[in-house]
Amino acid sequence: MTSLTSLMLLAQVGSGRLQGGWGYVWACYGISVAAFVLYSASLWARRPRATDSKE
Amino acid sequence: MNKFVKFGLPALTLALLGAGWWLGLAWAPPDREMGEVQRIMYVHVPLQWMAMMAMFINFVAAVTYLMRQSWKTDAMAEASAEVGLLFGTLGMITGSIWGRPTWGVYWSWDPRLTSEAILLVSYTGYLVLRRFVEDPEKRAVWSAVVAIIGAINLPIVWFSVRWWRSLHQVQSSPKTVDPQMVLPLRVSAFGMLALLIVFMVHRYRIALAERKAEVALPEALPTDDPALRASHSSKVA
Amino acid sequence: MSPPNAKRRPGLLTTTLVLMRKDLLIEWRTRARLNALVFFAMATLLLFSFALGPDTKLLERNAGGYLWLAILFASVLSLGESFRVETENACLDGVRLAPADARAIFLSKALGNALLLLALGVLLVPVMVALYGVRIVTGLGDLASILVLGSLALSAPGTVYAAISSNARARDVLLPLLLFPLVIPALLSAAKGTTLVLQGDPMQQLGSWQGLLLGFNLIYWGVGFVLFPRVIED
Repeated sequence: MTSLTSLMLLAQVGSGRLQGGWGYVWACYGISVAAFVLYSASLWARRPRATDSKE
Repeated sequence: MNKFVKFGLPALTLALLGAGWWLGLAWAPPDREMGEVQRIMYVHVPLQWMAMMAMFINFVAAVTYLMRQSWKTDAMAEASAEVGLLFGTLGMITGSIWGRPTWGVYWSWDPRLTSEAILLVSYTGYLVLRRFVEDPEKRAVWSAVVAIIGAINLPIVWFSVRWWRSLHQVQSSPKTVDPQMVLPLRVSAFGMLALLIVFMVHRYRIALAERKAEVALPEALPTDDPALRASHSSKVA
Repeated sequence: MSPPNAKRRPGLLTTTLVLMRKDLLIEWRTRARLNALVFFAMATLLLFSFALGPDTKLLERNAGGYLWLAILFASVLSLGESFRVETENACLDGVRLAPADARAIFLSKALGNALLLLALGVLLVPVMVALYGVRIVTGLGDLASILVLGSLALSAPGTVYAAISSNARARDVLLPLLLFPLVIPALLSAAKGTTLVLQGDPMQQLGSWQGLLLGFNLIYWGVGFVLFPRVIED
């Protein structure tokens, strides 16, 4: 049933395949990695420094 | 903080994310319809899953805080909201970049996107509220209330937007996905989970240290009046 | 608590009515809030037509949405004001020491705000009809039910959030930031329902929007009733 509906769906969509588009892929991964690095840096900058709060 | 969390978990995160993304970018086949662009899935979908998990943790922490007050659950709520907002925002950005070549637009008013945008705005409001209330106890109670109401709102928003648009987003279930795409997705998802834990642990420690500093503040400040000092120290103790 | 004390203590409903009477009396003596709200909302309705140009077809088609946006913007002012009155002389603490049940405070505030918004909506409908050239197609009863349900839906979560933001810094920014994403389902269904009332309802969709509004109300009046005491506790 699932495969049938997906086949019907594919028929509606058509079979034209997107060409290229690596730029979009790299943009996604680049933005994510950059955000993770920035957030890690902000965590590092805000790290607790008080001596008494050590567990 | 034990050694595994400090060094092992970040290393595991890098290894899993590196492996998952390498598999996704180089090893997995391009999609039949979407071609190479489909490789965005290996970063977009784990981000969304982890954002959902962080929001869920936030809801649980808020409920737990209202049941039994503790700075730990409050710090957990703060940490999960911030990390969840980061992951959700990234998920949304990657999603709209993905939407550009596949749908032709960066944004469409479909139920999932709209609900997520509303969710992100709610959590921004939640974090702003936390900034704007100085009293740590009031801040904890109020933000817990706001978090619970915001979480309850999510399904209502989803249904109402779906009726409003009255169109259905096609979801891909694991059955229709090529197994060579499932493996990189799984590995990346576990890598993203490890990253979520790393971020949460560090953010949680920051929040907890802030809470302790805030609660201890009256004692730490030098006061001239000895009676006032005595009353403060007795209140804290 | 000792039995005679408990007996002397008025019930939830009585307390609610007494508190609501107090709020409405304060409101009635000055009528400042309602007047300000009505003119603010009318100005908003007028501004929509200026912002969009004199395209009557467009205005007519979107009249329901503009009406509810005007009510929503006015509700932010009204909700903020309803707690500002209380925080001025620490009145809320006095009411709680009375001792009034915190849930009664919620009910009275939320009902009072809903009444105010309903009055505003009733006053705005003729203005909307005149400005945008719409007709009420399916009947006044449907429009009244949407107005009642919509005002109730805006005021229940609004009361909880107004109580929170009235004590925070930058409350004027905080209340809309918290409230707007929350009331989107209510705004959406009220606007859609009003549009159906104004344009006819061939597909019989009005009932489902009314149902959604009713469900929204049930959830948030319940949640507010349970959580509000925690918000104003010390």
